[in-house]
Amino acid sequence: MRDTERREPGSGPEPEAHLRLEGVGKRFGSIVALDGLDLEVRHGEFYCLLGASAAGKTTALRVISGLETPGGGRVVFDGEEIAGVPSPDRGIAMVFQTFALYPHLSVFENLAYPLREARTPGPEIRARVAEMAEMLRIGHVLQRKPETASGGEQQRIAIGRALIRRPRLLLLDEPLTNLDAKLRHDMRAEFKRLHRELGTTMLYATPDELEALGMGERIGVLRDGRIVQTGSPDELYEHPVDTYVGQMVGSPKMNLAPAQRGEGLTVATSFADVSGGPWTGTLADLPQQAGLLLGFRPTDIRPAGGAPRGPRFPARVHLTEPLGDVTVVDLDIAEDMYRMVLPESEAVGFRPGDRLDVEIAVEQTHLFHRDTGAAIGRDVAPPSGAAAA
Amino acid sequence: MATQAQAAAPGGLKQHFSNWRLALVIAIVAIPGSVFLFPLETAFWVSFGAVILVTATVVTRAWGRRPGPLLVAPALATLLVMNIFPLLWSLGLSFFHFRANRLSPPRFAGLNYFEKVISDPNVWDRLQTTAIVVVLTVGIQLIVGFLLALMFEREFPGRRILLMLVLTPMMLSFVAVGAFFRYYYEPTFGLLSQAVRLVTGEPYILLASPEGAIAGIVFADAWMWSPFVMLLVLAGLVSVPKYLYEAAEIDRASWWRRFRTITLPYIRGLLLLALLFRTIEAFKLFDVVFLITEGGPGTSTETIAVYLYRVSFQYFKTAESSALAYILIFIVIVLTNLYLYFVQQREKEEEAPA
Repeated sequence: MRDTERREPGSGPEPEAHLRLEGVGKRFGSIVALDGLDLEVRHGEFYCLLGASAAGKTTALRVISGLETPGGGRVVFDGEEIAGVPSPDRGIAMVFQTFALYPHLSVFENLAYPLREARTPGPEIRARVAEMAEMLRIGHVLQRKPETASGGEQQRIAIGRALIRRPRLLLLDEPLTNLDAKLRHDMRAEFKRLHRELGTTMLYATPDELEALGMGERIGVLRDGRIVQTGSPDELYEHPVDTYVGQMVGSPKMNLAPAQRGEGLTVATSFADVSGGPWTGTLADLPQQAGLLLGFRPTDIRPAGGAPRGPRFPARVHLTEPLGDVTVVDLDIAEDMYRMVLPESEAVGFRPGDRLDVEIAVEQTHLFHRDTGAAIGRDVAPPSGAAAA
Repeated sequence: MATQAQAAAPGGLKQHFSNWRLALVIAIVAIPGSVFLFPLETAFWVSFGAVILVTATVVTRAWGRRPGPLLVAPALATLLVMNIFPLLWSLGLSFFHFRANRLSPPRFAGLNYFEKVISDPNVWDRLQTTAIVVVLTVGIQLIVGFLLALMFEREFPGRRILLMLVLTPMMLSFVAVGAFFRYYYEPTFGLLSQAVRLVTGEPYILLASPEGAIAGIVFADAWMWSPFVMLLVLAGLVSVPKYLYEAAEIDRASWWRRFRTITLPYIRGLLLLALLFRTIEAFKLFDVVFLITEGGPGTSTETIAVYLYRVSFQYFKTAESSALAYILIFIVIVLTNLYLYFVQQREKEEEAPA
């Protein structure tokens, strides 16, 4: 028994984009929440909207769900402009950050809530609630009030309530923010499993890059109400379009060393002249002395030794932070602080104050304009598919 | 004299008696002694001084040790003198033949007056009138208050001013409301009569018929107290988290369903509280009735409270009215406890797994 809402795979040609936002704006008084947001989500995709708090994630989801009317632009869902369509008729479900479970109804009734209005017959409601409860492993709390369930169970109830009507699109607004760290990890796997089993298109907003990288098939990085970059986790990691994305994606965040264009095709930082990076080709177009930022990830700097992969220079250990399998080492390099991540075994014996030689893997470095933060030289790979950012 | 006695108290005594005990002993000796020894006028002042002395020493001591109870004491004393004493006194009176406007001393009457009140058809008639008024006025107050609260839940231009205006009736004194409605219903130049005359050409005397008089009273009381219900309900409405409504909107719930499953559970308790308060108050309804109709026409709007007033202060059947008053308070207590019982049952049901 399938809900009419869900499009059967293979039933007619699929529209190229499932959900498309074109230049959507939204202001609250003098605060601009969305500033010409362009966004495209494809059928059956797990799309992560990654952004710091107040970047506009929640507003974007609320506009898509119909809880807010956009101030401008178009919201197209399955080829249909839905700006004027009331929320209940959109076929879009949403999981709230607060869970928003109905406190006075039993868990069963919470799950059945979206079905009741559709006059679904009683036996079918029971069957679907049971199915959902089994899938989410909340069968044992069905007769209780939501507040008596644990945080993780409440989260799953909220997901179940959103999924039970078999929506065409599921919006998730920071659904893991209110859970503790351990549960969060478990729930990430849970989301992936659900997505695989149901194939529902999911749009997931999160401020946590680990969630985005771990779950998202594609990630849109949101900043100040607009998408800065869209791409797969790998693309974002390998080819950030600017320092914001570079630092947002990856943990610990990317090191940025102030630099300028040096002699020939080199980039001069305070500790070394770096040459031969992937940005070399476009370096020639830059004026001498141009203000730059050299970006390298904490995993791309390591103690010198073996075949040289880039420039070597002295550093001093400032602090070590063992995290179990890896150790984060804060390095003092020419009076600036940079981070290095080493496998735990290689970091044994480092003490604050130790001096050592380090090297950077040049091929892995990124170059940015110091003023604008925009990436230089490295061809920004076209994000997978037609949706060029 | 008491003050001299205090000054003369040997220091050695302090080791055996704390000050207040000494003062008490002095008072116990001084008061009967002075009554025997001095003329009554002097004895009064001696006794007065002794009482002051005891009070002063007790207060000083208590202040040093535990000032808390001392601070509550004035309120408790007032309560005792103004409420509890008259309450017990009237309970006592209800067992005696006694009329407050006669000099003859009370004679014991047993349960005579209770029997008389219970078998009095007038009382049952007045209770019936009261019940009609209570049901009508409380019902209207709950409905109107509720609708007003729904209206004021949302922001709209002029909301603050309108809210203030709507709350005004509750702040007025009963006498003002009574006088206002009396003129409002007045046959010759009352607003209501004039308005009707514009249509029919005849003056309209609302209070002439028993039904009209009841309607007039119910309207006045509901007008005055609907805002109270509104305030309570409004408090409940604003306590509903907004995201629940948003979730319900996405979950495709209709207005009615949203109201039943989200709003109502949040305000149910407050609604029941309003019901309790308003029922008790309406049961005691006196001022408005007395000012607008004085119980008329005939006795058709004489609520039990008005009847009680007549029995006790117009016919001066003090004992009988005391008995009636006690029966009324008993009814109110029973009603209140029934209410509390139902509320608790309901809570238990909600706690227990469905």
